[in-house]
Amino acid sequence: MNARRSLPRRLPRLLAVGLRTHIVYLSRSPLEILVALIEPLIFATIAVYLFRAGDRPGELLSAAVGAGLMGIWASVLFGSGAAIQNQRWMGVLEPLAAAPVPLVLVFLPITLASAAVGAYALLATLIWGVLLFGVPLDFADPLAFVAAVPATVLSLGMVGLLLAASFVLLPNANALANSLSYPVWMMSGMLVPVDVLPAWSAPLSAALPSKWGADALRAAVTGGDAWPPILICLAVGLCYLVLGALMMTWVERRARDTATLALA
Amino acid sequence: MYAIEADNLHRTYRTSSGWIRRTRRTITAVDGVSFQVPPGELFGLLGPNGAGKTTTIKILNTLLLPTGGTARIHGLDVTRHTAEVRRRIGYVFGGDRGLYDRLSALDNLRYFAELYEVDPRVQRRRIEELLELVGLTGRQKERVEGYSRGMKQRLHIARGLLHDPDVIFLDEPTLGVDPVAARDLRAMIAELVRSGRTVLLTTHYMFEAEELCDRIGVITSGRMRALGTPGELKRHAQDRVVVEAEVYGVDEEQLDALRAERGVRGVTVDQRGMLQVIVVQCDIDGDAEPERFRSFVRQSLAHLKLGRVEVREPTLEDAYVGIVTGQEAAAPETTAVLS
Amino acid sequence: MNGFASTARLVVVGGMTSYRALFNWTTPSMYIGTLFASPLFQLLFFVYVGRGLGVAGDEFLIVGNAVLSCSVAGIFGGTMAIANERRYGTLGTVLLSPRSRAAIFLGRGLPYVLNGALVSVTMLGAAALLLGWRTPVDRLPALVLTTLVGAIACTAFGLTLGSVGLRLRDIWLVTNITSALMLLLTGVIVPSGELPALLRGIGSVLPLTHSVAAARHITDGDGFGAAGPDLLIEVGIAVAYTLIAVVLLRVFETEARRRAVLDAM
Repeated sequence: MNARRSLPRRLPRLLAVGLRTHIVYLSRSPLEILVALIEPLIFATIAVYLFRAGDRPGELLSAAVGAGLMGIWASVLFGSGAAIQNQRWMGVLEPLAAAPVPLVLVFLPITLASAAVGAYALLATLIWGVLLFGVPLDFADPLAFVAAVPATVLSLGMVGLLLAASFVLLPNANALANSLSYPVWMMSGMLVPVDVLPAWSAPLSAALPSKWGADALRAAVTGGDAWPPILICLAVGLCYLVLGALMMTWVERRARDTATLALA
Repeated sequence: MYAIEADNLHRTYRTSSGWIRRTRRTITAVDGVSFQVPPGELFGLLGPNGAGKTTTIKILNTLLLPTGGTARIHGLDVTRHTAEVRRRIGYVFGGDRGLYDRLSALDNLRYFAELYEVDPRVQRRRIEELLELVGLTGRQKERVEGYSRGMKQRLHIARGLLHDPDVIFLDEPTLGVDPVAARDLRAMIAELVRSGRTVLLTTHYMFEAEELCDRIGVITSGRMRALGTPGELKRHAQDRVVVEAEVYGVDEEQLDALRAERGVRGVTVDQRGMLQVIVVQCDIDGDAEPERFRSFVRQSLAHLKLGRVEVREPTLEDAYVGIVTGQEAAAPETTAVLS
Repeated sequence: MNGFASTARLVVVGGMTSYRALFNWTTPSMYIGTLFASPLFQLLFFVYVGRGLGVAGDEFLIVGNAVLSCSVAGIFGGTMAIANERRYGTLGTVLLSPRSRAAIFLGRGLPYVLNGALVSVTMLGAAALLLGWRTPVDRLPALVLTTLVGAIACTAFGLTLGSVGLRLRDIWLVTNITSALMLLLTGVIVPSGELPALLRGIGSVLPLTHSVAAARHITDGDGFGAAGPDLLIEVGIAVAYTLIAVVLLRVFETEARRRAVLDAM
């Protein structure tokens, strides 16, 4: 009965079913979602105050969007970074690893789901801004905004794949995850553009898809051409996908070979 | 061609511990295991915890690479033809983890059907059939977190069968399941074999092995100590009788005295509340021997409060205990190296 | 040994031992990552956001974030000092000890206070190195004293949360959320005066709000005298939280003994 189709033909469905499964799974813990939203809301509040004080009332929407973007990264950092560990705790890592599908294609939907669920934070900061601070939803280019959000989510999900594969090799990945939120928020220029950072950090920023995502979102909100950064964001994300795939393949091999990464 | 072939499998682990003086140890989990399982057979793998059963299964189901030897599933090498092997095997383990408990049974099965390459056109029908088979029809839309342990275990089995594998590995499938549910599971396992599949089962329950298995292999310290049908294994203990004595307050010293007697192969104690049941395995070489051992045991324990003392034929469990206790002390399991 | 020396020994030696046993960040990378790297990045982030928007000024954000940085060690440490007893199932043993509970748990808090103050001072040093922040040397002792008082208040607050944690299952959730809220409520980034009255009110009874205000007086050159009232209030807050913690512990202990549920705790 297994008239198998070739992998490229099955790929879209495989990714879609995986994404759906894990988004549903992650969305079914109201408490976790709520906790994940609190920090972005606090940041949104602080950002609105700072933008007001900086006499940029016209950019309040940008502040809310930036805080939401910070939430997406936090979700990727903690969700993807611990993806393998989480599956292990649930006891599903073995059945996942024993599937005929390459482990990369098992984990990519999981890390994409962590980014997608992070987008709840963006939604929350926007609603929060509108309701509490009367932030007007006046997007300069609504279409570009609608394109920039999924592009950023997708790219960060691809970064997540590399995180998932690398963090499992580190004994203290938690500590690393704890200290990686602010640097990426800063280097991506999520609240304010990266021009204020020291010049040496520019290449590091450019290597982060979230930097281009932040640029695109800012352009879509306040005006400017959002499309080039959207494309760069996706291109940089693809590089992470390739790196993540190589890393994940190596992790899988190593897990079977040395058994130092007990799969169960 | 065999459904499962293990040929001189070896698996060692390197572990290190300590921060300052790192101690490296090489642990041999599987030490030259060989066996063949023809298609349609239910093969039981028995052995104490840490004997190497799970490691052997993980090599056969491609989760671990062997450090020596080869393994084949329907002639396909598990190391070189990993994906092809994975399409032909199913893996089910016991315990109540291993499912997405915030998802429904249906969502769990849909997801794994995709990962195990079930053709989308037949997925729906296949899932319905399996839910029917494991008796979960009607409950498939409930979240797994509300399931009983037995239901979860049946869902595990359904998941393992999604891609219609020829060879199924069942690693302690009845672990922690209540007796009635365990009986249902055994009926289901027997049905799998009747439908022509090959099953490799590990279990700690001797009656389960005796009831289900065509052949049984006993592993201790990473080696296959005995292999045969349940009847053949029992014949391992054919030249033996078992004296079973109920006693209160026996101590280790008295047990050692029993062990020192000529012809006594092994002594085990089963604590049942206050009561201790002593099982003495004895070699016999004459018709008078069973009675001799019985009176010996009776006399040795005469100063204690003694209940029933009986001679009986060895069971599969006695044969198993005899094999395990006879071999366990043999091969050194680990070698430690300071680096 | 007289009573005082014995108690002092219990506070110091007992405190240090339990610090090692209960501190969850005992590996070097966990310790540095959680306690030093995170707050440093946080400080840099806000300084650059401030620069980008042209608000608040470097010194305002550096001083605020540096004082805030002691909160992780203090609040989480204080919570751990008590709540982890439950996790490791050792609470019954500790409560059976004839020693004063207050002494035992205050001893537990001491290492976190020193740790928190060390983090704050390190942040000020890092700001001087990385961001070119400068302040006259004669203001430093007062500044260090301020961070120490802030760390004490945070740890006392942590002990209160930890005591609540003996009863509440998800205390870490509360600790995490509180810790995040302090960023907004203690006037570290947004001056307290700009917050709505309700938030300002909550902030004024949280630890650090007054330490931050005192530190700002000191770095603004208003002199130690100007910082005095805020420091005194902060000491009062520390004492209040300590008392709450001790009372809660006593209440839960009596209750537990009466219902014989020490294990259930």
